[in-house]
Amino acid sequence: MASVASGRSLSRAIAPYAFVLPPVIYLGVFMFGPLGRQIWMSLTNTRIINPNAGRYIGLRNFERLFSDSGFYDSLRITALYAAASVVLGVMAGVISALAINQPFRGRAIVRAILLFGWAAPNVATSLIWLWMYNGQSGVFNDIAMALGLERINWLTSAEMALPSILIVTVWQTAPFVMLVILAALQSTPEEVKEAARIDGADRLNVFRNVTLPHILPSVQLVSLLTAVWAIRRFDIIYLLTGGGPLGSTSTLVVKIRQTAFENYELGMASAYGVIGLVLALLVAAVHFIVERKRAQWMAR
Amino acid sequence: MITPMKITLALVRGLLIAALVAFAGFPIYWMASTALSVNSELYSTGQVPWLQIQNLPALASELLALPLGRWLMNTIVIAIGVTVLSLALGSLAGYALSRFKFRGRGVVGFLLFMTQVVPEALILVPLYAMFIAMGLLNNLLGLVLANVGFSLPVAAFILKSAMDAVPYEIEESALIDNCPRIGVLTMIILPLVMPSIAAAAVIAFFAGWNEFLFASIFLRDRSLWPASVGLASFIGQYETPMSAVMGAALVFSVPAIVFFLLVQRKIVAGLTAGAVKG
Repeated sequence: MASVASGRSLSRAIAPYAFVLPPVIYLGVFMFGPLGRQIWMSLTNTRIINPNAGRYIGLRNFERLFSDSGFYDSLRITALYAAASVVLGVMAGVISALAINQPFRGRAIVRAILLFGWAAPNVATSLIWLWMYNGQSGVFNDIAMALGLERINWLTSAEMALPSILIVTVWQTAPFVMLVILAALQSTPEEVKEAARIDGADRLNVFRNVTLPHILPSVQLVSLLTAVWAIRRFDIIYLLTGGGPLGSTSTLVVKIRQTAFENYELGMASAYGVIGLVLALLVAAVHFIVERKRAQWMAR
Repeated sequence: MITPMKITLALVRGLLIAALVAFAGFPIYWMASTALSVNSELYSTGQVPWLQIQNLPALASELLALPLGRWLMNTIVIAIGVTVLSLALGSLAGYALSRFKFRGRGVVGFLLFMTQVVPEALILVPLYAMFIAMGLLNNLLGLVLANVGFSLPVAAFILKSAMDAVPYEIEESALIDNCPRIGVLTMIILPLVMPSIAAAAVIAFFAGWNEFLFASIFLRDRSLWPASVGLASFIGQYETPMSAVMGAALVFSVPAIVFFLLVQRKIVAGLTAGAVKG
């Protein structure tokens, strides 16, 4: 009996690692190994012609980065793009959710259509918007002309390119936000709303004091996801503008590809990537701090 | 009681819904309209705004001229590979996190979460170098391996939160009967969390379906391209008729859209669980 018991306790001690090691080793090889190597590369002068002969140069890439106005541009563009996609995407998603929360005839179809942007693959999304934004034969300019307006250079002018990409981003993000908020709305306790109404609260008051606090945690969560996705987003921006015109849409992530595969400077490209990673981590950290504060506040 | 206030409110809501539907639905409609257009029209007299169903046979023959079937096949291979490997590794990680208190548990959870903020572009170059050395460049397997790193953690979080809800007593009797842990996981726990497995599978499948960045760098042979890279190759290229490009984009999108609509609730539950549990 004793030997069986000790055998079991041994197996109990080893068991968790037997399960957790294969995925951890996998991530070590295909995610964190490459990630570490890339961060290390940001401290070297590696170029693509000699990918294995890069020399350690300390923080010189970052010094160059911080004295380069192009870096501040891309930092500003990334921050602006992320902030605007959170504000606009979450706002559009919340409004959509509120609009279709009450049952009405044809709601299932409306809801399905509202989800198109989220479900369509990114490359297909890029292709259709590219075509709709087309300067000569695009439908948006056809409509503008029909309304007697000037042609708009949606993707080919430095002022319009980022707003144009934001429209696509909102089209893509809002449906996900809508689904999450809709789920939260439908779990709002009806009795509390009813009680508030009996106490004489009008619609606006019920919304502000009952519904809004109930969906706020979900709003915070989708804001985190939207921000992180915006910082990471590559394909849509790259396919629609390639980072141009005049660098007006080159976010940090787009800069990685340009610096690595057009300027062949892997060290510098990694430096851009490291800044992008830090930015995403900061957003996540803010989320977790707020989340912890709320948990403490709720526990009181 | 119907008050003017209520009528106005209903009207405003109706208009709002109409505007949202137009914004959300128009691009997909326009994709179909372009696909069914005659190409000479597109650049001269302008696109016909309705669907010209009579052009369907012409579109079909245009599509057959593209290697669309082959591209879709590659996409499916990648997506299935990503799904299978993510589920296998993700269920191991999810089970360990759900059932054991062990040293390093917090670290594992943090590492899994970290993957969700790493930009894909940041590991592109080292993976490229690694795949050259391993002979995985220009190889669909390499693409699967690169993508699993991002979808395995999502699967792990989804399965962990589902397993947390399974009472421990259920597996206890099996353990007393000396059933090995791995048997407990595969024969007792996994069947009980089937809906969450489905959710994780769908998310992984569409991550593979959507994959573009790695594929565009790692795959040289046209014959290995997934549909995403094949479609993107038309950008800035004028020989391919726009109607065929949009038709191909539609063929690539429709299965994804239909499938997403069928399982959307599960995906949302899964993705938000993954984000919270970090």
